[in-house]
Amino acid sequence: MTMDDLYRLLRTGHAQSQGIVDTLPDPMLLLDENLRVEVASRAFLETFKVDRDETVGQPFLMLGNGQWDILELRLLLEQVIPRSAIVIDYEVTHDFPGLGRRTMAVSARKLVREAAGSHSMLLVITDATDRLRREAAQEMLLGEVRHRMKNMMAVVHALARQTPTEGRTASNFRDDFLGRFVALADAEDIAFSPHDGSALETLVERTLAPYTTRSGPAEIDGDVSVNLTAAQISGLSLVLHELTTNSAKYGALSVPEGRLRVAWRLDPDDTLRLEWSESGGPPVAVPEREGYGTRLVEQTVTYSLGGQLERNYSPEGLSAVITIPL
Amino acid sequence: MTRTVLIIEDEFLIALDHQAILEAHGWRVLGPVPTVEAALSLLARERPDVALLDINLRGIPSTPVAEALVAAGVPFATASAYDKPERIGGDVMIGVPNVGKPAKDGRILAVLVELLKDTRAD
Repeated sequence: MTMDDLYRLLRTGHAQSQGIVDTLPDPMLLLDENLRVEVASRAFLETFKVDRDETVGQPFLMLGNGQWDILELRLLLEQVIPRSAIVIDYEVTHDFPGLGRRTMAVSARKLVREAAGSHSMLLVITDATDRLRREAAQEMLLGEVRHRMKNMMAVVHALARQTPTEGRTASNFRDDFLGRFVALADAEDIAFSPHDGSALETLVERTLAPYTTRSGPAEIDGDVSVNLTAAQISGLSLVLHELTTNSAKYGALSVPEGRLRVAWRLDPDDTLRLEWSESGGPPVAVPEREGYGTRLVEQTVTYSLGGQLERNYSPEGLSAVITIPL
Repeated sequence: MTRTVLIIEDEFLIALDHQAILEAHGWRVLGPVPTVEAALSLLARERPDVALLDINLRGIPSTPVAEALVAAGVPFATASAYDKPERIGGDVMIGVPNVGKPAKDGRILAVLVELLKDTRAD
């Protein structure tokens, strides 16, 4: 039943039909012109822990040792409602004895009794504290998501500018850039999916998915769960993407007999240690000059993630150890 | 005279982007540095003309850096994706220009040049 339904019901003279009023879920009061309680609903009595006898017939502002005698509520009842006919969800925040600090949403409607030449007031009082808290939390979350999205745009913007163009065709550039872009998009997806410490596992599996089929060359060994922040997930996603792409071009993943093993563990000081070991690929030599991908891996690990990178170009294959403080 | 700008930003791709823009326009870049500690120790050694400050450095508000900049009389702008950086960084961020994220090259340059003018007027 809405307040309007109730209003119509009471207008037709059923003001005393306590039975109907008692079925309403929200605390409700009917006050006479002098703010004396004519009717109190069961929900009102229960919510504010009072009984009917100490409520009905009493001045509203005196109820519960004057717990409703709040300046703004008094103004609302004495000044606003008599002039305005209806007030919806007017919020009153107050330390209610026995309830603590709560925010009540007060809706009120003036009922004119033409025959008697008087009016009364219908009040519906709901405890809005939890709803308002939820709304505040939601607003914060929304702000956080907006922030995260703009931040991601800034990273993508920077990637587009930094992905090298010199000596590359337009389609080379597009593929390099989109590979990194997808790595970031995957990271975002993982960071905002529910997971219990399985983010790293999901990330490694997703990055290596083309190579981990039953007869595939890649093996993942890391059953320890690791909690990562969204920033750590996107950093590691870029790093794993670069290592994988590089291996598919020049390393173990470029030949059928090549093998890759990715393993991780969590050290007692909360340091993540991730090992990338290639073998069986073409003979490896230290590259003559550092490409952008190499630099991206290095800087993401050391600068963005505050970790360390050891790279070992041994003849049987590239190996890399990444340590990141969590 | 070469003007110097300290870049404090924890995401290396963005830091590098800002550095490239500023260097291309004749600025000398100090840093970039990714943490509060690194920024404070750099500030103890060198005094930039202006600074470009990220609000959140690896999950920690950069408020101590902002306070150190104020104490050293170095004007700064924020580069933040937050609409109201003071909600994260506190009162020291109130009224500080924010170049935003992603930032347009022109906006970064214009805001920093404006900050330089303000110091000269003092």
